[in-house]
Amino acid sequence: LGRQLLPHFVFTKACFKTQPLRWGLREQKITVQPRTVLRFTQKTFWTQGPDPRKAKEDSTKQVSIRRNQREETGVSMSQKVREAGRDVSYLIVVLFGVGLTGGLLYAIFKELFFSSSPNIIYGKALGKCRTHPEVIGVFGEPLKGYGEMSRRGRRQHVRFSEYVNNGLKRIRVKFYIEGSEPGKQGTVHAEVEENPGSGQFEFRYIFVEVTPTRSIIVEDNRSEQS
Amino acid sequence: MEEYAREPCPWRIVDDCGGAFTMGTIGGGIFQAFKGFRNSPVGINHRLRGSLTAIKTRAPQLGGSFAVWGGLFSTIDCSMVQIRGKEDPWNSITSGALTGAILAARNGPVAMVGSAAMGGILLALIEGAGILLTRFASAQFPNGPQFTEDHSQLPSSQLPSSPFGDYRQYQ
Repeated sequence: LGRQLLPHFVFTKACFKTQPLRWGLREQKITVQPRTVLRFTQKTFWTQGPDPRKAKEDSTKQVSIRRNQREETGVSMSQKVREAGRDVSYLIVVLFGVGLTGGLLYAIFKELFFSSSPNIIYGKALGKCRTHPEVIGVFGEPLKGYGEMSRRGRRQHVRFSEYVNNGLKRIRVKFYIEGSEPGKQGTVHAEVEENPGSGQFEFRYIFVEVTPTRSIIVEDNRSEQS
Repeated sequence: MEEYAREPCPWRIVDDCGGAFTMGTIGGGIFQAFKGFRNSPVGINHRLRGSLTAIKTRAPQLGGSFAVWGGLFSTIDCSMVQIRGKEDPWNSITSGALTGAILAARNGPVAMVGSAAMGGILLALIEGAGILLTRFASAQFPNGPQFTEDHSQLPSSQLPSSPFGDYRQYQ
């Protein structure tokens, strides 16, 4: 029985071995065919593609050249002149605006930062009044300073006048002070003169007019009689 | 007479708020009149009605915005006068910057910085215009003879001596 079974097993193995070989061959054939087909189609695309594109490109180039020539003549005739006119007018408007703004900013800059501006003189004179004991004694400790009253209740700008004496520029400033004492208000007169050496402005005098008959001299450097 | 002059600062806040509202309403009314006129259908009646509707709708809003700005600006300005004890253009510029920053606070810090810069520059321009107007007005009225009169009134010998004696010892 064992001997009879063995040849059956052998036959079955042989059948299994032969079948996969056939399958492998078929697969190889199938895979080769589409490759060849794809190659042919690709070749056809390559041959057809560039020719019409090149032709189209050439035609578009010619057309664009012609259009450019026509447009250039039109622009050179009238449009360029119009554009230049517009540009110049816009530039004038912009320059006017920038000039106006620059002028205003320069005015405020000069008022706040130059040593010859009335605002700087007013600040320094007020500082000296605050450190003077007699002024503090008359008006009280928190001393306030302000300029001329405007129409809308603002008192930020002091009255000043400029003149020249013996070739040197002088600025006279007038402002008001009041302290914690009720009902007391003082008028401060200060004058500065240009120093010929350094160009800076130095005080000639500062005095506080408490009443028409009484004044407090804070600083007096008037060596010259003029 | 000067002793009874009213201190301007607390009342000026209300004055400036009302003035700003008026300015915004009138200016906004003019702009909205033109805008409504152009934005209406053809026909004089349609255009006039559109113009009036636009004025009634938007001019009060603009007036309100101006009033808020003016009121806050004046409040900060008066606070600075009280704190510094001095009135000068720096108060206006700082108040403008702070007002712009505060009113843009809802939009974040970057918007606050931008609005503060815009507010400060705007107030600097306004102060610059005021200074130029003052110079222009003073240039048209030369007051030469006042110098000699004022100068003759200021010899040191005529100034009364102070009861404290020589004041130089304190300096």
